Amino acid sequence: MSSAFRITQRSLSHATLAGLQGNLARLQETQSRLSSGRAIQRPSDSPTGTMASLRLRTDLDRYTQLDRNAEDGKARLGTADNALTDGLALLREVRDSVLQGANGSLSATDREALASQVDGLRASLLAVANTKYLQQPIFAGTAGAATAYADDGTYLGDAGTMSRTIAPGVKVTVNATGEEVFGPAGDDVFKVLADIADDLRTNPSELTTVDLGRLDAGYLRMQNALASVGSRYHQVEIMQDRNKANQLDSQNQLSEVEGVDMPATMVELQLQEVAYQAALGATARVIQPSLVDFLR
Amino acid sequence: MSDFSGLRIALSSLYAQRKALQVTGQNIANVNTEGYSRQRVEMAADSGPVTPAIESRYSGPGMGVLTGDTSRLRDQFLELRGYQEHAVDAGLAESQNVLSRIELAFDEPSDDGISKLITSFLAAFDDVANNPDDLAARAQLVEQGKTLAAGFSALDAALATQRSSSINELDSLVAEVNVSAARIAELNNNIASALNNGFSPNELMDERDLLISQLAEQVGVTVRPAENGQMDVFVGGTALVRGTRANPLQVEVGTDPAQTVRVTWASDSYPAGVAGQAGGLLSGVNDVIPRYANGLATAAQELADAVNAVHRTGYALDGSTNRDFFTAASGGGIEVNPAIAADPRLVGAAASATATRDGSIAQQIAELSGVGDRYHRLVVDLGVESQAVNRRVEVQAAIIQHVDAARESAAGVNLDEEMANMLQYQHAYDAAARFLTAVDQALDTLINQTGLVGR
Repeated sequence: MSSAFRITQRSLSHATLAGLQGNLARLQETQSRLSSGRAIQRPSDSPTGTMASLRLRTDLDRYTQLDRNAEDGKARLGTADNALTDGLALLREVRDSVLQGANGSLSATDREALASQVDGLRASLLAVANTKYLQQPIFAGTAGAATAYADDGTYLGDAGTMSRTIAPGVKVTVNATGEEVFGPAGDDVFKVLADIADDLRTNPSELTTVDLGRLDAGYLRMQNALASVGSRYHQVEIMQDRNKANQLDSQNQLSEVEGVDMPATMVELQLQEVAYQAALGATARVIQPSLVDFLR
Repeated sequence: MSDFSGLRIALSSLYAQRKALQVTGQNIANVNTEGYSRQRVEMAADSGPVTPAIESRYSGPGMGVLTGDTSRLRDQFLELRGYQEHAVDAGLAESQNVLSRIELAFDEPSDDGISKLITSFLAAFDDVANNPDDLAARAQLVEQGKTLAAGFSALDAALATQRSSSINELDSLVAEVNVSAARIAELNNNIASALNNGFSPNELMDERDLLISQLAEQVGVTVRPAENGQMDVFVGGTALVRGTRANPLQVEVGTDPAQTVRVTWASDSYPAGVAGQAGGLLSGVNDVIPRYANGLATAAQELADAVNAVHRTGYALDGSTNRDFFTAASGGGIEVNPAIAADPRLVGAAASATATRDGSIAQQIAELSGVGDRYHRLVVDLGVESQAVNRRVEVQAAIIQHVDAARESAAGVNLDEEMANMLQYQHAYDAAARFLTAVDQALDTLINQTGLVGR
């Protein structure tokens, strides 16, 4: 009884219980990881993983919002694109009228008919210029006006640009102001169209010498605006695709950081179960006998 | 050497073996008793008078066996080591408990934590930027702001609740310690008088040791044996129990702003150097919980400042500007500016007073990077600290298991061993009885069978 480490029934049962407890605790942890599908359930499970997870989750939310921004931008640019295409068609019709009116053989009645047609086209163009997206006139800049142009062709908007953040640090202008599209106030296409109607009625000689040039300049301006809107639409689309790719990437990284490796965890669970059963079996054999059983 | 000394030898052996058998029985009876130390009857050969005198010389074989004290087989050094390790273990377990409850309160990483609230809040600014004159988007933003502020204050409240429940726990713990200390003082008294009256105080000592080991877990104690089998118990170098007198502890909540909690001696209000569970609770109450509460408050304030700095440059729909989005809440923490909460049109989204459809300021706020960084760092710090404590708890558990096994090895009852002892004492008893019979027969022969020649 001297130096040897005495093992007693109590210490045996304590050690056995501690071992079984440990086995069971590991089983429970694996089980909870499996059932929740998450490897990180609290920061202490993996502080570095937590940092990555928090960052990736923030990124994911940011990408979702950027996608919404891009959708909004696309809708606005798309609306502008359609409006400008319509506007250009109207201007082409006006050009036809001008060329027809310049023909010296036309009677005053014919020119009057052409003039009223141009008036009608001007009204249509005004309607195009007042195109709205979500109740907001898209060519009014950032002003809170109800329409971009008054009926008499007065510009009610401002030169404000609207931009949307479509990628981290990337902003795209999603509007074109009335002045950019239709020309500076006082010399915009509406004025040109009004002048053309006047000249058709009173002064047909100026049609080709002055008006046609002004009309073409207006057409070119609108065409440039359309090209710019189109290219920005394309840019937003590209960035949106890139965002989607990044989002997917972040999602993958997140599931790598947070997710449970199912096959590995299942195998782990199986092994722990085997270990637990083995421990139970061993305990059943070891705890039972003592010298009492063998003394008579 | 008298003719009857053989009877005396046999009798002493019968007594000794019977007592040893009884003690074996006591050991077996207490095989599962918490804190019981196995006992052993100390036997010594009685050699008879050892000092020879001229007319008194003893030439016999001895006078039988001396039945000495029943001693407790317990290693005092292992016990002391056990007290220390258990105190460390209890303190760590308490810290682990505190930290894991803080982790639960933070609930990160998840879809419900404050991190998510921050990103949702910033995203709402982008929605306002997309449609600055859309009142629904503004109202949504205000709601997100309120949710975020509420998230911060709910977490803060959870930490405060945890702190006060820890203080309650400390209160009842100290009350329990005082009861234990009083009982130990009483036991000291009983043990001393038992020893003086020649009784065995072993069971009383076991009870005292059990109480001391509980105290070790609760407040971390050191012990020093005193005279008459008494035991002095010290907490942080000051006596909790000295002899038959207990010195109670108390919990004091400071009046300073931080409301520092201290465990002091009731007699002189001097701080007691407690460890163990009480130490863990104290560090939770005075250090860990306030640290995370402060970190959280700083994170909220920095977020509010960053948002406000940009928001002040923005113009509301009514053209007003220089307004904070977040203001200090009356009960501490942040809240959405009550004016904005009442009228979402006052959100300063535009860069100029007239451009009501401009959302560039809201856009800037949505793009504020790093407003959540302070909070993220706080969560990661929490994870690191908690993980470190978890690891220490694991290591300490291994140490505890080892120390306990060693204590048990010295003091625990092994049934096999007791069985063997039982056989041994039983046989010894049988042999002593047989010896008594032999002496008896010898005397019988001498007394009854001699002098009968020729009868």
